Amino acid sequence: MKIITCYKLVPEEQDITVKADGILDTSKAAPKINQFDLNAVEAAVEIKALVGECKITALSMGGKALDNPKARKDILSRGPDDLTVVVDEKFEHLLPHQTARVLAAAAQKNGFDLIICGDGSGDLYAQQVGIQLGELLEVATINAVSKIVSAQDGTVTVERALDDEVEVLEITLPAVISVSADINEPTIPSMKTILAAGRKPVTKLSAEDLEIAEIPALVESVSVLAPKQAERKQIIIDGDDEDQVAEFAEHLRKALK
Amino acid sequence: MMSKLSNVWVFSDIASRLPEVIAGGVQLGEKVSAFVIGSEDEIAKAYSLGATHVYYLGEKDTSKIIEDYAETMAHAISNGDTNTLMLLGATKRGKALAAKLGVQLNAGVINDASEVTVADGVTAKHMVYGGLAIGEEKIVSPIALITIGNGVFEAAQADNSKTGEAVSVSFIEPKAAIKCIERRAKQGESVDLGKAKRVIAIGSGIGKQENLQMVADLGAALGAELGCSRPIAETEKWMERERYIGVSGVMLKPELYLALGISGQIQHMVGALGSQTILAVNKDKNAPIFQYADYGIVGDLNKVVPALISAFKG
Repeated sequence: MKIITCYKLVPEEQDITVKADGILDTSKAAPKINQFDLNAVEAAVEIKALVGECKITALSMGGKALDNPKARKDILSRGPDDLTVVVDEKFEHLLPHQTARVLAAAAQKNGFDLIICGDGSGDLYAQQVGIQLGELLEVATINAVSKIVSAQDGTVTVERALDDEVEVLEITLPAVISVSADINEPTIPSMKTILAAGRKPVTKLSAEDLEIAEIPALVESVSVLAPKQAERKQIIIDGDDEDQVAEFAEHLRKALK
Repeated sequence: MMSKLSNVWVFSDIASRLPEVIAGGVQLGEKVSAFVIGSEDEIAKAYSLGATHVYYLGEKDTSKIIEDYAETMAHAISNGDTNTLMLLGATKRGKALAAKLGVQLNAGVINDASEVTVADGVTAKHMVYGGLAIGEEKIVSPIALITIGNGVFEAAQADNSKTGEAVSVSFIEPKAAIKCIERRAKQGESVDLGKAKRVIAIGSGIGKQENLQMVADLGAALGAELGCSRPIAETEKWMERERYIGVSGVMLKPELYLALGISGQIQHMVGALGSQTILAVNKDKNAPIFQYADYGIVGDLNKVVPALISAFKG
């Protein structure tokens, strides 16, 4: 079985700051693998264990951050056998429908039986790239996969946890699935797998290599701004003597009503 | 410069969300065309809630998944007005359907919209960067697909005097169908902090795991659910991931939020800023949490928490 697992590099959210005008400053935030995509990689590793004969290719597209050797090693240390990156400056801030079209072209070039995506990305959290990718490739596609029940050549059986019920689905390959964050607990790479990752093959493609048809303009980003904060009373009691705690307890009592 | 579209399509895979999507349709469109899958009663329900047209896709078929109706819906939509919007509930199925329709209709998709406006194009806002910011996007394709979050539109009230005939739509086989081999009700809900009225959250300032007991006692005394900051869930693993508040975690909307030993980085606070009243206990008077608090006390948790427990116990 030929599996592709897609991932995106996103800014480390703990290092994003909000400027006074509400604009986010990501300049100090190092790129990291989107958390939800680690679940996708782990699901691929799980399927490989079920089917035996299987190759996992990690696939990403984006800007120069994908050239970073550490970021490449990071994804490869989590189980994929090789890596394909499509790097172009113009892929730096793509909207979801554009991302799906670039990934579709790359997946077609690579070939696949099953593509696994995460639920969304920590930056835009648009939650549509996986499904759009499957639809563009004209194969079976579904989101919210919460468990891999079984996998063999030609089919995978999965559970899908929805808002009100659980579906057990039999999916004929080729297919694209998006997995939910609770599907598994991603394994932390060991020193051994990190070292081995450095020897795994990497293919770098450019936008030209993919011969992508013109990408339609369907959506435009208008703005990304931090919301205005509500005014707070900021009544702060300095000290934890009996009287001071009692005063705080009184404020708490009023807030409980 | 709010205007209306001549027609808005609506669909909800969950009956309880239908009144909201129809209300959205009524607000944004002259006509409201609802897709209905299910019993005849549900056709009547859609009309009573304000749909002006109902397109009936047939009884529920347990072997089919809702997403396999995408081709059928796309066909109906593409036969109508070209300048149109479809609203769906932001459920897992709603999002899958919207994304499929997006490709089939060459249309822009926005999920989890918190606000939708129709002017020159359809514009929607939704949370990005885990809640640090709101992204505003404009759909420039002739057809727009939007899934809306809970409470974006005030649910439409049923009026049984409003009735109508449904147009039957024949099913179009999808290119690659998915077989549903079993369907079952979801097992008991785990904690849903997002719905809690009162929340006590702990951060690294709690010091040691044994102190969790005293926090649980305070929670019992105040009738509050317990939550935490990221390090407590991810580094210490003293609480489950469902209790972690902030970026990529839970977004709270309680009446009361009490932060114990939480410094108050924005990545945590985005999850708590929706609280009506914010209270904080922290021994560092320069902790950023006090800037976001209505009431704060600079003090030692080991003194403050036991005193609060005895003040509020039964």
